[in-house]
Amino acid sequence: MDEDEILGYVTAYLKKKGFKQTEKVFQEEFQQNKSSSSSNSILEPDIANHLLAFSQLENGPARYHNGYSRLRTWTYSSLDLYRHELLRVLYPVFIHCFMDLVAKGHIQEARNFFNTFREDHEMMHLRDLQKLEGVLSPTHLKEMEFAHSLRQSKFNIKICEYSYELLLQHLHSTQSTTILGIINEHINFQVTSGQPSLISDDPEAVTLTGSSQEAANQTNQKEIHWGLLEDSLEERLEKAGALLSDSEKGDGEAKEGENDESKKRSTEVGKQGGSVKKIKKDKGGSATGKSAKPEANTVSAAPRVKPELPLPIIPTEVEHSILDDLRNRVQLSSAALPSVSFYTFINTHNSLSCSSISHDGSLVAGGFSDSSLKVWDMAKLGQQPSTSLSQGENDASQNEQMLGKSGEKRQYTLFQGHSGPVYAASFSPLGDFLLSSSADSTIRLWSTKLDANLVCYKGHNYPVWDVQFSPAGHYFASSSHDRTARIWSVDRIRPLRIMAGHLSDVDCVQWHVNCNYIATGSSDKTVRLWDVQSGECVRVFVGHRGMILSLAMSPDGRYMASGDEDGTIMMWDLSSGRCVTPLVGHTSCVWSLAFSSEGAILASGSADCTVKLWDVNTSTKVSRIEEKNGNTNNRLRSLKTLTTKSTPVNALRFSRRNLLFAAGALAKNA
Amino acid sequence: MIEIKMSVIPKETIEVIAQTIGITNLSSDVALALAPDLEYRIREIMQESIKCMRHSMRTFLTADDVDTALALRNLEPLYGFASNDPLRFKRAAGHKDLFYIDDKDVDIKDVVEAALPKVPLDTSITSHWLAIEGVQPAIPENAPVEAPSEIRKTEYKEDALPVDVKLPVKHIITMELQLYYEKIIELCLNKPGSITFRRALVTLTTDSGLHPLVPYFTRFVADEVSRSLNNINILFSLMRLMRSLLQNPHIHIELYLHQLMPPIITCIVAQTIGNRLSDNHWELRDFSANLVALICKRFGHMYHNLQPRVTKTFLHSFLDPTKALPQHYGAIKGIAALGSRLVRLLILPNIEPYLHLLEPEMQLEKQKNEIKRQEAWQVYGALLCAVGQTMHEKVKTFSSLLSPPIRATSRGDGKGMTVKSIKHKASSVNLMLQPQYARRKMAADGGRSALVPMNSMSVDNMQGSTSGFSNMMGVSNSNIAMSSSSVRQLSNENTARREVEGQQWKEASSSILAQAWKDEIDAGQLLQPLSELFGESLFSFLPTHATSVFL
Repeated sequence: MDEDEILGYVTAYLKKKGFKQTEKVFQEEFQQNKSSSSSNSILEPDIANHLLAFSQLENGPARYHNGYSRLRTWTYSSLDLYRHELLRVLYPVFIHCFMDLVAKGHIQEARNFFNTFREDHEMMHLRDLQKLEGVLSPTHLKEMEFAHSLRQSKFNIKICEYSYELLLQHLHSTQSTTILGIINEHINFQVTSGQPSLISDDPEAVTLTGSSQEAANQTNQKEIHWGLLEDSLEERLEKAGALLSDSEKGDGEAKEGENDESKKRSTEVGKQGGSVKKIKKDKGGSATGKSAKPEANTVSAAPRVKPELPLPIIPTEVEHSILDDLRNRVQLSSAALPSVSFYTFINTHNSLSCSSISHDGSLVAGGFSDSSLKVWDMAKLGQQPSTSLSQGENDASQNEQMLGKSGEKRQYTLFQGHSGPVYAASFSPLGDFLLSSSADSTIRLWSTKLDANLVCYKGHNYPVWDVQFSPAGHYFASSSHDRTARIWSVDRIRPLRIMAGHLSDVDCVQWHVNCNYIATGSSDKTVRLWDVQSGECVRVFVGHRGMILSLAMSPDGRYMASGDEDGTIMMWDLSSGRCVTPLVGHTSCVWSLAFSSEGAILASGSADCTVKLWDVNTSTKVSRIEEKNGNTNNRLRSLKTLTTKSTPVNALRFSRRNLLFAAGALAKNA
Repeated sequence: MIEIKMSVIPKETIEVIAQTIGITNLSSDVALALAPDLEYRIREIMQESIKCMRHSMRTFLTADDVDTALALRNLEPLYGFASNDPLRFKRAAGHKDLFYIDDKDVDIKDVVEAALPKVPLDTSITSHWLAIEGVQPAIPENAPVEAPSEIRKTEYKEDALPVDVKLPVKHIITMELQLYYEKIIELCLNKPGSITFRRALVTLTTDSGLHPLVPYFTRFVADEVSRSLNNINILFSLMRLMRSLLQNPHIHIELYLHQLMPPIITCIVAQTIGNRLSDNHWELRDFSANLVALICKRFGHMYHNLQPRVTKTFLHSFLDPTKALPQHYGAIKGIAALGSRLVRLLILPNIEPYLHLLEPEMQLEKQKNEIKRQEAWQVYGALLCAVGQTMHEKVKTFSSLLSPPIRATSRGDGKGMTVKSIKHKASSVNLMLQPQYARRKMAADGGRSALVPMNSMSVDNMQGSTSGFSNMMGVSNSNIAMSSSSVRQLSNENTARREVEGQQWKEASSSILAQAWKDEIDAGQLLQPLSELFGESLFSFLPTHATSVFL
């Protein structure tokens, strides 16, 4: 260690900080010391090293580059066993190095640094990188929400003891104080004893949740009652199941005739042949279903909970029809796949921004970017084109209809009221109301019976991305660009609850089957579960790599599926807050997810023009076994891929009888 | 000093923008400082736009999304880009990553005076079954994916369980299909050459929902072929239509083969097709022959009497001397398309008498009718082609001595270079076999270094056949060599007499070829006289179009 060098550094430091007096004294003392003896000037090597490190600290932006590249080379050359754990450290260090450089005004160096190492992280964090790429001045850092949240919170990284030791040793031995500083400041290590975790294990390691890991853990430890509601119709049906016998059968068939009205809409006889066949199978299915009920019904196994909200009373005639539907439900499984009826929107000119299907599939709503909301009654639609086949019969009625609408033949009901693109629509469980949310930050309630707007709910400040009726009706939830989700009841114009906590837009919302919870998916790549009564966040689900676009709750209340913009679907266990399994298969945005009525099949609709059917039963059972073995690399089985003719699938809905409805707009250039 | 580039946006952009809002004296420092901020803002807006795009359930960005994003930030929207279709960008010439919107100047007068455009169709919904109990029905609304595997599956089933496919008792065709059918028919009859028709053919090959129309199409083709035998264009488009249907993997066309075959065979062996003088009915015959071969290849294993019946028809018209030459031509082509085995079995045994029959027709002295003579030459060409191909395949099977590169070039498209190399090889092989002959051949080669490329095939064949036979039957080997050398001598003499060297060469060698093949059957007994006979007849008439057919 060259003594003069150290002297130089020290004086430079003193000068810089403006310690003129001290500097003077230091100089004097140094002179004295030098003249008196040179023997006691041997500094301890440690101090020298620290001083040297300090000097490095001063030598500007290059140290970030050097420090990071050194850490990177070391990590890549480390042992395979520990490498993947250590690799996780690189990303936070990388972005913080970059942000430090930007914050200090070394824009050019920051750019270089970013571009040099960008490739390493592109696979995992492409979207974040794209966001950060544009940050070019310290003011941007302050302005940008994403950067802000990165700065505010710490990354949580799970790491085993040995890897942690290795890392620290490396950093100390190479005197990478800069990197060490960043790691101390922005990374929160959860050091676990024993073997390093598996590669496939939680990618959540590097997702922000906006709170410390402890808090998040705590959130996920809260008790949730995912059971079904007491005295639900299903339960009543089962109780009554023993009593009903032959009379119910005849009843059911009679009802079937009525209910199949919607199926008759198909104009082609060939198709009708298909639907007739379908009906026959329906009967067969329901018959076998009844016999197989005791062991097949997963719903009955779920625990029961009391509703925390006062729920509306279902009128008896509606109750009867629902019970009938339940009785005649087709039992689906991996061997018995559902029939899918597809509603194609044509001539939309790319303006369809959302679509929704009522619970019985008879009504289809489409929200358009020209602020209009259009509702088609599929049962009526089926009658009109029949003129082409039998002109004579229908002429009179056709004329009336045309006159009634002032000579304009319109097949749908047009709802006008919004002043911005309509981003979501949701039918009430009975199909008599329709909610729509729009970029004009309002939510509107429409009556499908009166064809009129009833209420306009104002509360959000920014576009409302999603709105969903609760399974019981009366209540609904909305989510918005203002990063909140809100709970409303139809009879009040102010929200009942506001759920705040997401770090970015809340993109989608879904009710739990027992109405006590809602789930929200956000652009911050997390899904949260909120208690409706208390308004608290009870679960944070971390693992997606893109914004969440769709959510679905299993009918037994135990699982939740979420789909993101990369085409990944994740299946979550609500009680543990862990991902059961990721479903990989879609190549583009998953717009819509739906569980079949008894929960055996998950359907997913995507922008890649496919509907995929997934086997839920096997996966969840297997996973429970494998969970114990600590082996979680199982996959949900993809049962079937149904390809549409260049039609991205926007909406999916299983009817109570397990007929799957899907909707999408024909895209010429898709 | 090297200017530090802070942003992907150059400062010139800032200056241009400043000028558009009336600031002319913007200092470059300001521009440099603004550039990074501009980039940041643009990225920010684009990210918001992408959010809006996702929520509009789209996967491509539109101007609307950008407007909505701007509105989110309380900024004024962009005017003049309202369109729900994606904007079309053009690449600027000479720049790799510079794009601009192709915005054409429009004369306001034209716009005002133009007739009102058609009212765009209103949004509506159609419904169909995407799947019935998990199985996608083959209807036009569904995408034709996975169908081939589906069909194969049912085929397997059919093998096991005889009854699986039931013909619908009653055909009901939907409006859409009817319209489709009418459109196709109209295109087929009126615009056979148009692009629309070509596109229609593509849909015919791929669409999965056409099955109900197949009987109508076959019927239509059958009727139309008999009606418009004199219109070659219509016949051609009909055959194309047939081929498209045959290629469609979703259609069970085999159910209609009995209706299909007669019109196609008609197109091969009909006495007169179109106007004999002006129309190229040969091409139609070729096309249809290939079509028949396709059918036999695809369904021959399912219907065992299909191919025998077809070949019987061909043979019948081939062996009937009263039939017209175009009919013979068609029959030869048809047999040739079915494979070399049939050529060997059906044509070759009859070739000698047939050639005797054909010979006078080809000769100027005996056949004064120009058209007839040309026809005869066409037939001759077809015969030559069929035999040549057979030989070629034969050679391929005996190719123990042939090295791969020779085979690769032996299809007749070899360039002068390869020709030479082949010849070189041929001569070297021959050198081992027959030194004397080879020497002579070399000498001949020396004089013809710039031979026409097509020689490669015949030379190759000759070489192959000699070498092949040398392996297979040593007895006949010398015979061939003898005969070939004798013919060669003959040809050399002819060369001296005539100017057209290359063609003679070719003809000479192809005749050798024919004999080399005959050799296999007749054990070379008839070789010498035949070769002389052939040689004479060949050399006396060498019209150019015959060679072109051979090509």
